[in-house]
Amino acid sequence: MSGGRDDAGSTDDVSGAPIDFDRLNAIEERFITDDRFTEVERQPEFAPDRIVCRYDPGFYPQRVQSARLEVVWFENGDLSLHYHEEHRDGEFDHRWDRHPSDHNARDHVHPGPDAPTPGDDASHPAEWRDVLSMVLGEIEDRQRAFWAE
Amino acid sequence: MEDPSPELKAGADERRDSPDFDDLVPPEEVVSGDRTRDDFFDAVLGLDSPATASEVAELAGHGVDAAREYLDWFERMGIVTRVTDSPATYERNQAYLNWRRIQQLRNRYDDDELLAFLDDAAERDASFAETFGVPSPDAVAITTHAADTGRSVEAVWQDVSAWKTTRRRIALLERALQTDSDGTADRRTVA
Repeated sequence: MSGGRDDAGSTDDVSGAPIDFDRLNAIEERFITDDRFTEVERQPEFAPDRIVCRYDPGFYPQRVQSARLEVVWFENGDLSLHYHEEHRDGEFDHRWDRHPSDHNARDHVHPGPDAPTPGDDASHPAEWRDVLSMVLGEIEDRQRAFWAE
Repeated sequence: MEDPSPELKAGADERRDSPDFDDLVPPEEVVSGDRTRDDFFDAVLGLDSPATASEVAELAGHGVDAAREYLDWFERMGIVTRVTDSPATYERNQAYLNWRRIQQLRNRYDDDELLAFLDDAAERDASFAETFGVPSPDAVAITTHAADTGRSVEAVWQDVSAWKTTRRRIALLERALQTDSDGTADRRTVA
């Protein structure tokens, strides 16, 4: 994957693509029966722009009021996966992205409490299911860490 | 990803009722379907350029003979199209996936609902055209537009993607509304 500060702006081969409704459908079908989530909804329902997956609050201590993962995928393979926690006093965000930008490589993450721009350059797996399982795994690592002494 | 800050962590009392993460289906299983067919369908969904049977086999995690069988079958169904013959390469057939989606729209919604969706989408389309000052999202050069307007490439990319999504939605809705009274949509390619 190309990308980075230098080639952004110097070429104009970056383009957008429509949301991949079919891939989002496949993801919804698989997530909807999983015990991690209490609710998986498509927005809008008739042709989803994103899938909103709400985590079971049982995976979090009481100070965390809710947590969700929003999944966006495009027909050219670009993606944006956004994990969000609501706390009693604040929030936490982490975003895994693959898209053109003028601040990062195509693959990047925006980590931490305020998910800042620019984020950190990263390299996500090529295969879309591998990206998804990596993301679910990283979220689970964070969830487990809530319960560690 | 960061670990939670100490003040967010469970206290000793809460930890007595810790969730059992080991009961969960492992992530790599959650994201996959149950059958070999799903593995190949997923592999084909993820293709953004023509791929050979061995590349598809690799993506699906199955053997190349199985890949050839499924690709033949998918080609007959219209899920993939063959791009080259020697070596044989295949790509995702978006026209078929659109056709399938149009059938779903017709099954789930009546004409009034589809028309309401279409009105919303058309309004959105017009507003993007006005914002960008061009008739089609394909006419937007993202990095040039970003430089000209002082916006970030990411922000312009988001808008152009949303515009392309709106265009795709309009095309699907129009075809769902044009579908013959016997319930079969034609299978022309949608932009």
